[in-house]
Amino acid sequence: MDHIDPRARFIFSFALLFSATATWNPNILFVIFLIAIIWYSMGRLTWKETKVGWFMISILLFTMIVVNTIITGGGAGGVVPPGGQLVWPNGFELFGKHFTFGLTVERLWFAVSQLMRILSISLAFIMIPYTMDSRAYGATFSKLGLPDGLAYTMELSFRFIPTLARNFQVTLDAQRARGFELDGRKGNILHKIRRIAPLLIPVTMNAIVSSEDIANAMDLRGFGQSKRTWLHELIFHWWDWVLIVFSVIMLATVLVLAFRFNMRLFSVPQWWYGLFSK
Amino acid sequence: MSDPAALPLVVKDLSFRYHTRTTPAIRNINLSLESGQIMLLAGSSGCGKTTLMRCINGLIPHAYQGTMTGEVLIHGKSVKGMGLSEISKNVGTLLQDPERQILGTYVLNEVCFGLESMGMPRKEMLPIAHRTLERLHILHLKDKETFFTSGGEKQKVALAGVLAMEPNILLLDEPLASLDPASAHEALLAFRELADEGLSIMIVEHRVEDVLAIKPEKVVYMDDGEITYSGDTAGLLEAVDYSRIKLPADVIARRAKGKVHPVFLPTVPQLEPESQALVSFQDVRFQYKDDTPEVLHGINLEVRAGEVIAILGHNGSGKTTMVKHALGLLKPTSGKVLLEGVDSKKSTIATAAKTIGYVFQSPTQMLFAPTVREELAYGPQNLGFAKEQVEENVDWAIETVHLEEELPTPPLALSFGQQKRVSIASVLSMRSRVLMMDEPTAGQDYWNYQSFMDTILQTPGFDAIIFITHDLDLALIYANRVVVLYGGEIVADGHPQDVLLDDEKLKKWRLLPTSLLKLNQELWPKTGQYLRAEALSQFLT
Repeated sequence: MDHIDPRARFIFSFALLFSATATWNPNILFVIFLIAIIWYSMGRLTWKETKVGWFMISILLFTMIVVNTIITGGGAGGVVPPGGQLVWPNGFELFGKHFTFGLTVERLWFAVSQLMRILSISLAFIMIPYTMDSRAYGATFSKLGLPDGLAYTMELSFRFIPTLARNFQVTLDAQRARGFELDGRKGNILHKIRRIAPLLIPVTMNAIVSSEDIANAMDLRGFGQSKRTWLHELIFHWWDWVLIVFSVIMLATVLVLAFRFNMRLFSVPQWWYGLFSK
Repeated sequence: MSDPAALPLVVKDLSFRYHTRTTPAIRNINLSLESGQIMLLAGSSGCGKTTLMRCINGLIPHAYQGTMTGEVLIHGKSVKGMGLSEISKNVGTLLQDPERQILGTYVLNEVCFGLESMGMPRKEMLPIAHRTLERLHILHLKDKETFFTSGGEKQKVALAGVLAMEPNILLLDEPLASLDPASAHEALLAFRELADEGLSIMIVEHRVEDVLAIKPEKVVYMDDGEITYSGDTAGLLEAVDYSRIKLPADVIARRAKGKVHPVFLPTVPQLEPESQALVSFQDVRFQYKDDTPEVLHGINLEVRAGEVIAILGHNGSGKTTMVKHALGLLKPTSGKVLLEGVDSKKSTIATAAKTIGYVFQSPTQMLFAPTVREELAYGPQNLGFAKEQVEENVDWAIETVHLEEELPTPPLALSFGQQKRVSIASVLSMRSRVLMMDEPTAGQDYWNYQSFMDTILQTPGFDAIIFITHDLDLALIYANRVVVLYGGEIVADGHPQDVLLDDEKLKKWRLLPTSLLKLNQELWPKTGQYLRAEALSQFLT
């Protein structure tokens, strides 16, 4: 992965994003999902280094799929036609009690499709911060056509995230030394926000004060006064062109299939119904 | 006298008022700087030094709006007609906190930042960056992440980023503020070297005595927005109020002779050597993770009632890690920390707070409440004090720091010095037995830091006081015990007169002997104790 030009990597990731969001066709989504898995495995990332990222994604997946699609059904509205075959037409027994639950086979397949779509996108993007040199962001975005100010923002955030984390730790220590406990929060959401104000306010105030110094430091070294060059060198190799051509073909194929051959709409494969027939 | 038009920097009749203020921040400033000269710009906090620097480096009027009269000429050309880009090629500025100035994630990127902004091709910027890093003797750091560089290294890296743009004028805003004595001395020598190579340097600094060591050609003293002294070093030593800026101890002692000075008496109780230790470190070792090096190597230390302890040590010596153990924020990898006899592993941080109240370096790291009263009540409320007890503690704490009238004020709206006192009061209100302070004088000018320390040391309510500092003079004036940390070990522990006796050892520990220490050692047969410079005056012959 280190040998692939970041521009080619971003082009591929965005091509995959647009491909995955262009269709609900299960076969196409499955192929995209497979491509994403192969791409992710090329990064040779360990679970240990990525687990925080996956934890965040799992919260998103749980909210969108389990809560929004399976439990409430709200997320399937407008895509899954109303009605359909119930997964438990006669309800089910749990802990000696009888329950009825209106989950349909179609909605469950929609959850699977959603899972494939979101995981494909996640696999493509989660690896970027773990595999890309933080010095390359500015040059990459600039050469992809973004203005210098915007292109440098990402690089700058990589510089100051550890500082922010350290400041947060100092404030946390300062408040813990005054008896603040992070655990055992009680009460409603407003109460909880009030309880963490001793952390949020000093960290935010310090970040605001720091941002003035950072802006001054940038101004004093001529940032934004003329067209910027970049120390980080980006060189396209033949394999980068291969990746870009592949990305274009992938996206074009999906778009043609989706819009020319009408394969963008949600559908449920017959074998899926077979799993739920008695 | 050189032709003014050819001088690198000339400031003529300069006045400036910020749009948000009703009075000018600086008035009628006139100064000039020649190639190869160092100018020391001294003055107490709020005297207008930073505003003057902003007028020279172009942040005024480009980033800060206001009314400006007079002019700043760089090589004869007025900055009014120059863009920030053009000014930055001539004027390099090192801001006070290098942590906030460094923009690159890696050292080499940081050094090249300005060159990138100038649109310089990569091939041209690389040799310049290497040359600059070599010039500051930090080429070995070029591939290091800037976040992981030490305090001294950070400052050199930030300086390299400025010097790479090859300015003729260098403005340094309190460049010694976060450095230990040895790093500060090294930084000053580097500035002298740069001036000798032809750079014009203006240093804004509270640590006047330290800067005098590199013999600045010009000294300017500002007070309330105006220059009240401009000339050479010898003149400054006689002209300015010695209680406002830190002059060499022998000068203060000589000038203070015959004058009456208030006697300083700390209010901690009499030392009780046989009493139970308030805090006890027993062979404490600590490493953050299994695969990282050990940070503390077998620390043994006992703190008893009546002690005022100064903890000295170079940047990264383990002072903060040690203090976090005393607070229960970190637990030892091996060994024990006992707070009033209770193992820190068996007690909560809230319990530890009843023994030790810790004041962090910057008050903005802890102040958050809408009013000072709520800020002061926060700690005792968390510790479960009854409502009446909380109110009683708050009233006592605010009276102790003499800020009663500020109880309804938002703490963040107060001045830095007042915020510092509120942060002390917020610890006082918890009725902790030990007061522990991290760099209590950081960011304060000489006058403020002396009056602050005098006030705190004379504040009743603490059985012992511990402070972490880089300032040797602070230790010898205020402490009755000095602990020196070096590389995660306690290398000295005892009375100041014993610990600070050997110059060679001090240098090895990166603590440099000061003029006050030398004068105290000289007068020791007469004094029998370490005293501040004013008090030594009566022992001069």
